[in-house]
Amino acid sequence: MNRNPYLQKQPANWWVKNPYYRFYMLREGTAIPLFLYSLLLLYGVYALTQGESAFNQWIALLRSPGMIIFQLITFLAAVFHAYTWFELVPKILVLRIGNHRVPDVLIKVSHWGACIFCTVMILVSAIYFL
Amino acid sequence: MTNTITVELSRYLPETDKAPWYEKFEVPYNDDTSVLEVLHYIKDYLDPSLSYRWSCRMAICGSCGFLINGEPMLGCKTFIRDYSDTASIKIEPLPNFPVERDLVVSMDDFVEKLATVKPYLIREEEQPVDEGEYLQTPAQVDKYKQFSQCINCGLCYAACPQFGRNPEFLGPAALSLAFRYNQDSRDQGKKQRMEFLNAEEGVWSCTFVGYCSEVCPKNVDPAAAINQGKLASNIDYGLNLLGLAGKKQ
Amino acid sequence: MKNYQRSNEPVAWSLFGAGGMVLALVTPALVIVTALILPFLPNADPGHSYRVILSFAQNWLGKLILLAVISLHFYHTAHRLYHGLHDLHIHGPDKVMKSIFYGGATLLSLLTAYWLFTL
Repeated sequence: MNRNPYLQKQPANWWVKNPYYRFYMLREGTAIPLFLYSLLLLYGVYALTQGESAFNQWIALLRSPGMIIFQLITFLAAVFHAYTWFELVPKILVLRIGNHRVPDVLIKVSHWGACIFCTVMILVSAIYFL
Repeated sequence: MTNTITVELSRYLPETDKAPWYEKFEVPYNDDTSVLEVLHYIKDYLDPSLSYRWSCRMAICGSCGFLINGEPMLGCKTFIRDYSDTASIKIEPLPNFPVERDLVVSMDDFVEKLATVKPYLIREEEQPVDEGEYLQTPAQVDKYKQFSQCINCGLCYAACPQFGRNPEFLGPAALSLAFRYNQDSRDQGKKQRMEFLNAEEGVWSCTFVGYCSEVCPKNVDPAAAINQGKLASNIDYGLNLLGLAGKKQ
Repeated sequence: MKNYQRSNEPVAWSLFGAGGMVLALVTPALVIVTALILPFLPNADPGHSYRVILSFAQNWLGKLILLAVISLHFYHTAHRLYHGLHDLHIHGPDKVMKSIFYGGATLLSLLTAYWLFTL
């Protein structure tokens, strides 16, 4: 036997050429702005503990051009995350009623409905109270 | 006037080559020419030394998996007419597997993994023959039927970047097969298979890229099977913490 | 026959899953609040926003909600970043990497809890 198998090793740039892989990396990449946003929120909590003027400084930071751009990126990341997340939920959440499986589209629509409901509740409360 | 397409073929001769290299051929095609038929043409008329696997030519045996223009596909199910607007078509062996020769990859590890997950009905006690067959309602069949359609072509392993990086990963086909038996109402071997699912090499190497399901020629949807397996494994983990998961078999 | 050990990944995955769901439902609106409403909503009294949010955070339910939302954000993103580094072939000793990401998320969550507790 003249076996001499060639071992194909995965290169570090395995995801660059294939559009499906690029989409996956983009999806995972949403974690970067979302992590940084969590730190921003944490900073807000800290500012809250330091009194009114510290908190108002935090709000002024939110107003700065750099932060506006960052929050735009974060918003897009959050919506993209929600979109990809709701696409995946029906694959994991298999619900059966009697003999029938709940259709994927129904699960997706319910999740989008919940998202819209939460969004409306949060925005209305924020506008009303703040 | 016949159309021709340029085919860029990956070649590898284990006796002489250190690494694969590419060879170009001009191949005529018409409306129903498949990639497999292109390979037959090359072997019959242009270069008889070309090696590749094939059998049924109708997408049921799982033999003719190749990387075609960067995507894992079955040669018999991929048609040149869909590539007529591209300059050339590149045919390479499936990635993530060792290449034996030209387009032939070693499937040893793949087969071993299928065997590992105990892909057969396990009963605590066999039903006596005179009690007849095991009966299943359509709903019971529906729970596992999709995952039983696997033709063992290996495209999902070629597609999976987690398997590509870590060959210890049991992989989409093996895990879907394990899940298929766990979901079968006739089977009583779930505890034995949970041992594989619960491991790092089991469902937990998967990051839900989803490309395996995208390339599967039989719509098995291994990504769904593995991630439903994650849910089952998660529940098993919780039960184990509470001492309710049962002894390791 | 290879010896398969039970993985502890379910702990991380559960937090990742819960965080992902919270993120998907709440974060788009949250970003609109912090990017548009808080900074730009015209309010004669500059201390008004501070007092409203403070009273929310001083309420035990408000504390719980803020802690859950922020903490789950940390666990979700830490899990994705940890696995993302693997995908990019950036290696490190596994225990060290896990400590940095999951340990980091835990520390940040404890910090959030501590600050909320002091309000």
